[in-house]
Amino acid sequence: MQETLRIEQLSRINLYALISRILMNEVDETLLKSIIEDENMLTFFPSFEKWSKLKELSLKDLIEKYLNVDFTNLFLMHLIPYESFYRRDDQMMETGGDNPVQALYNDFDFRVELDIARVMSADHIGVELEFMYKLCDAEFKALEDGEVGIAADIAQIQYNFLKDHLLEWAPMYLLNVKSEAGTAFYFDAAELALEFMMSDFEYLTQLKENGFKYNV
Amino acid sequence: MYLERRTFLKGAAFSVAGVTLARGVFSTDAVAESVAESKFTNTPNSLSFYPDHKEWDNFAELDGTDWKRGGIERHGVRSEENPDGILVNNFMLVPTVCSNCEAGCGLTAWVNRDTMTVRKYMGNPLHTGSRGRNCAKGYAVTSQMYDPDRIPFPLKRAPGSKRGEGKWVRVTWDSAMTEIGKKMHDTLKVGDDLSKKSIMYHIGRQNENGFSKRVQHSMGQDGFNSHTNICSAGGRQGTIQWANDDRNSPDWANAKLVFLQSSHAADAGHYFQQSAGYIADARKKGAKMVVIDPRMSNSAGMADLWLPLWPGTEAALYLYLANRVLHEKDKNGNDLVAHDFVKEWVNWDRLMANKEHLAKMVGYGYISKMPAGESYADFIELAKELYAPYTKEFVLKECKIEGMGYKLDQLWDMYIHAGSQIATYFWRAGSIGHRGGWMNVRAGFLSLVLRGAMRGDIGQTGLHHWQEINLAGTGDAATVAGEKPAKVDSWNELMWPPEFPLSSYEMSYLLPHLLSDTEWQKKWQAKGLNVPTKIPVYIPRMYNPAWINPDGFRWIEVLKDESKIELSLNLSPVWSETNWYCDYILPVGLAGERSDQQSTPSKPEKRLEFRQAVLRVAAEKMGWKAKDPSRATLEAHMKYGLGEIWEETEFWANMMVHHIDPDGSLGIRKFWASKKDPSRAVTVPEYFDAALSSLPKLSETAKAAYPSAEYPVYEYLRDHGAWTEKTDVYKPQEEELGFDGSNYIIEGKKFPKSEVTKDKFGTLWIEEDGHQHSIGIEINGKIHEGFHTKSKKLEFFAEWFAEWKWPEYAVPVYPRNEGEYEKMIHLVTQVHHRHMKGDHEFALNTIYRLPYNIHTRSVNSKHLMEISQNHNPIWIYTKDAEKLGIKRGDAVKVKITDTVTGLDSGYFIAMAVPTEATRPGVLACSHHAGRWKLKDSVDIPGFEHKLGIMGVGAPLYEMTNDGKTGTLKPVEGIHPRHDVWQFKEYNKDLDNIWWDGLSGSWQNAVAAPHPDPVAGNHAWHQKVSIELAKADDKIGDIMVNYENNFKIYQGWRDKLTRPLNSKDTMRRPRHMPRPAVPLSDKAYAVTIKDV
Repeated sequence: MQETLRIEQLSRINLYALISRILMNEVDETLLKSIIEDENMLTFFPSFEKWSKLKELSLKDLIEKYLNVDFTNLFLMHLIPYESFYRRDDQMMETGGDNPVQALYNDFDFRVELDIARVMSADHIGVELEFMYKLCDAEFKALEDGEVGIAADIAQIQYNFLKDHLLEWAPMYLLNVKSEAGTAFYFDAAELALEFMMSDFEYLTQLKENGFKYNV
Repeated sequence: MYLERRTFLKGAAFSVAGVTLARGVFSTDAVAESVAESKFTNTPNSLSFYPDHKEWDNFAELDGTDWKRGGIERHGVRSEENPDGILVNNFMLVPTVCSNCEAGCGLTAWVNRDTMTVRKYMGNPLHTGSRGRNCAKGYAVTSQMYDPDRIPFPLKRAPGSKRGEGKWVRVTWDSAMTEIGKKMHDTLKVGDDLSKKSIMYHIGRQNENGFSKRVQHSMGQDGFNSHTNICSAGGRQGTIQWANDDRNSPDWANAKLVFLQSSHAADAGHYFQQSAGYIADARKKGAKMVVIDPRMSNSAGMADLWLPLWPGTEAALYLYLANRVLHEKDKNGNDLVAHDFVKEWVNWDRLMANKEHLAKMVGYGYISKMPAGESYADFIELAKELYAPYTKEFVLKECKIEGMGYKLDQLWDMYIHAGSQIATYFWRAGSIGHRGGWMNVRAGFLSLVLRGAMRGDIGQTGLHHWQEINLAGTGDAATVAGEKPAKVDSWNELMWPPEFPLSSYEMSYLLPHLLSDTEWQKKWQAKGLNVPTKIPVYIPRMYNPAWINPDGFRWIEVLKDESKIELSLNLSPVWSETNWYCDYILPVGLAGERSDQQSTPSKPEKRLEFRQAVLRVAAEKMGWKAKDPSRATLEAHMKYGLGEIWEETEFWANMMVHHIDPDGSLGIRKFWASKKDPSRAVTVPEYFDAALSSLPKLSETAKAAYPSAEYPVYEYLRDHGAWTEKTDVYKPQEEELGFDGSNYIIEGKKFPKSEVTKDKFGTLWIEEDGHQHSIGIEINGKIHEGFHTKSKKLEFFAEWFAEWKWPEYAVPVYPRNEGEYEKMIHLVTQVHHRHMKGDHEFALNTIYRLPYNIHTRSVNSKHLMEISQNHNPIWIYTKDAEKLGIKRGDAVKVKITDTVTGLDSGYFIAMAVPTEATRPGVLACSHHAGRWKLKDSVDIPGFEHKLGIMGVGAPLYEMTNDGKTGTLKPVEGIHPRHDVWQFKEYNKDLDNIWWDGLSGSWQNAVAAPHPDPVAGNHAWHQKVSIELAKADDKIGDIMVNYENNFKIYQGWRDKLTRPLNSKDTMRRPRHMPRPAVPLSDKAYAVTIKDV
């Protein structure tokens, strides 16, 4: 695999992993430390990097007094990070097996451990992004194994999932997060997720237009 | 910002890999099992999903825990081959009825056929009132049924111990019945007048329609005592005066204006959940909602208009509306008065013909001169003058809403815009909180009558008896007697004292005072009344009078006194404060453990619901048979691990047949012995099939559905749980009276036309049992059934009320100026703002319900307890709090002072929460919280486990009382539980208890009784003064001067009532039936000696 493709794929894996994690659960000290100490990661959080509290407070206090409070507001109480809420006419969350996203995971033999995820249903933004991470990872492994055809099939699934699901609602939710965020961290995280998804869809669109021919 | 793609390529250089960052919530080890043939559905598309009724006997459903993990498609069905699959429950759905408030919403018990336990309670979609829906209390029935502190068997006060010592022994139902039955037999055997007032059955919220009354009736007792005068007697009195029905019944769903005085109906009260749903339906169609309440309740918070009047002054507002309706015209120049309705259906004609009363009205200053004539136009002129003083300026001042004139304008617009489609339910708040609360209802209905909204048509306000089905007391055909017991010949002064002849219901909250007041007893004995001085057998039923009534320490004194109450037994499903002072605690069933017929009109339809012992029913449907069919519920509960839990229906039938009157010599046995097998008591199927077969449509449907059944009506209700006999019950007063050419026909009974007389007002009368009864009304040449009043019209002028000593209040009125406050003191609330003298003095609003703590039986439901914690502070208006330096969370001392006698009652300590959600000058603290216990548990000799007492619902307190002063102090709160010995499977979560329960005070004990001189209701609100608590005051502390409270009861009674005197020949107007047991003329007759 060419280095350019490898970097592209690894970047996609890592970024989907990062944003899915941040948008799924409260951050812990390990994750926060990873972000702060990694200048590459930190560049995705420009406002957070400049936030005075980052220097004034311990990571524990930062999390408990600010980030968790904001997370609760943005993900648990006042905003609803679930696709069914945004897409159903009645704005009801679908928590059972009739959830179309759940059905889609089932089709690919992916099973969501909702109790580990600590979310109500499979169409949570963090879970959908982690699904993208899993697909990117699988695509990468296929490419590493020289299975370009399989990789292309997986890329097609990614394209469809972004088009039919994530991009149908997540931008609205993330704009709401940006608007409601009380901390620079979640403002930046929403911005990152939004920009990255749009950019990645552009990338996948180009790949699709090229007939999923990788520059291997 | 728009990031270029290359920016994201930095991601590849993260120091940690994606696999470390990702949460890792996916797994790919799918269970391969096919679920194509599975009958299970995933989450239904609609919340109203319910299994088809055909499947109720055997419905398979996935275990709840597994639903959360993505449904059956993930793991397949659990089996030996697939142990990780999803558990499937084999359920039988048995319909029943909730019993946690009076609404009677339908439930279904989901009985696991394999374990014979109830796994959950859900709604019953066949109940056309509740429509499959329930509030939190309905779903909490499971936690009540499998309460770890459930009383598992009958308990008796330990021999040699005193009441209240908390020493108990285990007894059997049979031994308890033998001892109690003998005492009742011996008491009844005396057979004199006093013996007919000797057994008191004191009912809490009974949630059934007539069975309890039959218990007393069949024994010839005037001893049926209710809780109603602390609940709703004010609202009832106002309705009785208008319509001789004690409740109205709104058509919420079709109203254009939902007009609420208090949060009742939409928030917590009659018939909450059902009413709330219909109100929501109406609002969806564009109806407006107005809430009149000093407190911003949940209802007020979502209303179109919140009017925080000074509590108790509502009548002023309603008479203002009447004034405007009478004087103003609509935009087309038409009158606003619904003349077609008022002219035909209001008894103005009787007022205009009563010159003597009109002259009195001139004397009172209500009108300036006698009307020119007796015409309808003359009446309208009279009304215009009568209500002219109730102006907007008057309302703003009297209701203390200065600056809110714009709100009155908004109200007016909504009220007029709604036309005649105004639905209301006058019940608690303004009607029960205050002296004269009944007049708030009188005045409130006037404003609706004038607009034609009381016709009972679509979207309007009708009357309760149009829809209620009272058949639970009519199972006579299943018994040896085959007929009703005779009317009772005695009058019990302990329930109906001569000072309160018009009381809506029994003066039940004064029971301990009347029993203690030997001076009062002697006074009336000297005047010729046979006043009891003791109660040989006192039987509370699902009632906790010591806690819920005012002046609780007086209750405790009397309950402990064996010379006043010789034997006491509480038929109680749960531990309660009252149990502590009884001789026997007999554990009876909750919502899914008893048989009752109930009827709860929440919309214009005639409907009944049927509560059942669901384990018994499930077992019987699966083939189990009781050894003794008249004790099937008890046997089933013991067999299936619920404990020795019984139900009243079987209990009383067995008591009467085998213990109270075993040889039939008292004439009682025949009313309870089975016609089918006279050697035993009547069974549940026999009794209720007989009682409910009188509904023609139900009977026909049941026979068609169960053609070979012995008890088709019973079986129909057993399987459906509810029945709607008639829909669209609108304006039945306009129905033409049945006539076959020579007889008028009423409820199947024929009255020959030749024996019917018509008076000059068009009312038709017949003579029966030596009394004149009105049977119909002629209007425009047609004979109609009419309203339930003597005049057959709505009674603007309550003529009988004038005759019964209250002429000045026989039409809706309210003091028009300060000078009239004293003259009309019976109509002026005891917490009127004129009594508040300084910044620290307030009216205390106590009588709003907390939606999860309505009746005391739900105290130990862990689910309800969890959501009710810290929900009952003292609400105080923000600026009032600022003036007194009170901050959120401060403990405050709330001292109660009576405004009639000037006496202090004591104080309670509570937590303050300053808020904009109560009006200035008015504090709020619901009296539905503040439970206590004196021991955490009791040891039962010979039983290996301690019996816990309200272990999740009530903190531990320490009590002192010396006959004059009582105190209660919290010792410790509720703890996580590790000692569960029964129903462990249902109580694995008790380690998680986080609440300590120390947030309420037993304010009821501090409150002195305030008997309204007319309606007899306890006027709940209190005048209080507050200050910051001292360091040694704890939230939950109370101190009560119950010697003063006794004087306050006497003060209200002696200063405000108009007792019977030597000119009276009747105890109470004969047309005003006593609400429970039918009494004979002999019982109604009275002779009072002048001494």
